[in-house]
Amino acid sequence: MKVHLLMSSFSLLLVTVFLLFMPLLTRRGIFFSATVDPEFPHSDEGRRLLRSYRWQVAVWIALVVLLTMRIVPGRPNFAGTVPLALLIAGTALIYWRKFREIHSHYGVHAPEVRQATLSVSAVNENFNRWVILLPFVALAAVAVYLNMHWNDLPQRFPIYWGADGQPNRWANRDWQGVYGPLLLGAYENVILLALAWIMSHESRKTVMRYVTVRGVLFLLYPLTFAFALGPLQPLLSTPVWLGPGVLLVSIVGLMYWSYRKVSAPQARDDVPEPQSDDYWKAGFFYWNPDDPAILVSKRVGIGYTMNFANKWSWIALATILVAFLVPGFLKSI
Amino acid sequence: VDELRILLVSGKLAPGSVLPSVRRMAVDLGVHFNTVAEAYRTLAEENWLDLRHGRGATVLKRDAPAAANAELVDELRHRLRALVAEMRAKGASAAKMRFELRALADEIQP
Repeated sequence: MKVHLLMSSFSLLLVTVFLLFMPLLTRRGIFFSATVDPEFPHSDEGRRLLRSYRWQVAVWIALVVLLTMRIVPGRPNFAGTVPLALLIAGTALIYWRKFREIHSHYGVHAPEVRQATLSVSAVNENFNRWVILLPFVALAAVAVYLNMHWNDLPQRFPIYWGADGQPNRWANRDWQGVYGPLLLGAYENVILLALAWIMSHESRKTVMRYVTVRGVLFLLYPLTFAFALGPLQPLLSTPVWLGPGVLLVSIVGLMYWSYRKVSAPQARDDVPEPQSDDYWKAGFFYWNPDDPAILVSKRVGIGYTMNFANKWSWIALATILVAFLVPGFLKSI
Repeated sequence: VDELRILLVSGKLAPGSVLPSVRRMAVDLGVHFNTVAEAYRTLAEENWLDLRHGRGATVLKRDAPAAANAELVDELRHRLRALVAEMRAKGASAAKMRFELRALADEIQP
């Protein structure tokens, strides 16, 4: 019971911090998903709107916490889902109301000038061959090392640990148990590389693309490290938190770097995204039937979202979903 | 089309340079493929671009056209006057217009 409450409180705390800072986690010239003057968020009115949003979110969080304290003790299964769902739904509504207000009263409605780059060579991001290959080489090296120390591996070893630090899933010393995590790591790397390639070819050349493509390439490394550490752990006796810890620190560092890059005063897109707020339904969903781009810079957070008016976006979404579900499916048969 | 034609006339897009594919240009501009394809076709019909399947759009070297006849000069004068009148009606000052027209005249290469 206590673990449920603790987990629920911790995830609520993380989401709360994110939600309070969410309007700031975006690029210059965007505030609550609306196109504004880049200086508007720092103006008195901009600050007032942010304060008002935070107060409303804080009150909603307090209500959700009170509700959680009444619901969770009787229904521990709800601990992880109901409070989060309520928190996100309520905050989305508060956010959407602010988007409408800012779009109507402070939004930039000037006719936009579209730009395109005429230099063919500078259109896509360059991928360094060694940056891509190194994680795969590392996984292969770990596989060779494990093969050489096969007899030193225990017959059964833990691969997953619960929040209480106790192992909750085990692997056997067979090819699936030992090499499975490495193959899964290589598979995840291929998916990430495919995403980076699609971003590079199916989006406009913006600061967001620079940041996201590099971010994805960077993530190959802590992910590879975490996957490689799984079967190595029994041999090296490393702390169980090392893999997830390195991954978490990397993600936090990456988010900080990304935010600094996209919000820097000198950040300029070579090819800007369409700026009209009319393409953003509820401030969250990009819907522009005329735009052939599949991926567009997000207005909430760092990264990319899809043009939901493009059928290829749905096909890509389904493909990504299937790609992520395949390992689980293969495991179950 | 107009913006591309300005770049071609001014020589900023040199003969031999290759323009991005229709798909790339459409993604950059956030407009339908057909719109860009139509623009490329218009410029190809004016002999500015060479459109070959699989090779993209290459800027062509165009011979200087024959000396403009009096009708063309009349058309130019007529369109400029109409534009100046429209801009004056929208509030553009005479001094500003003179400055812009002079700057434009200076940009025209012989």
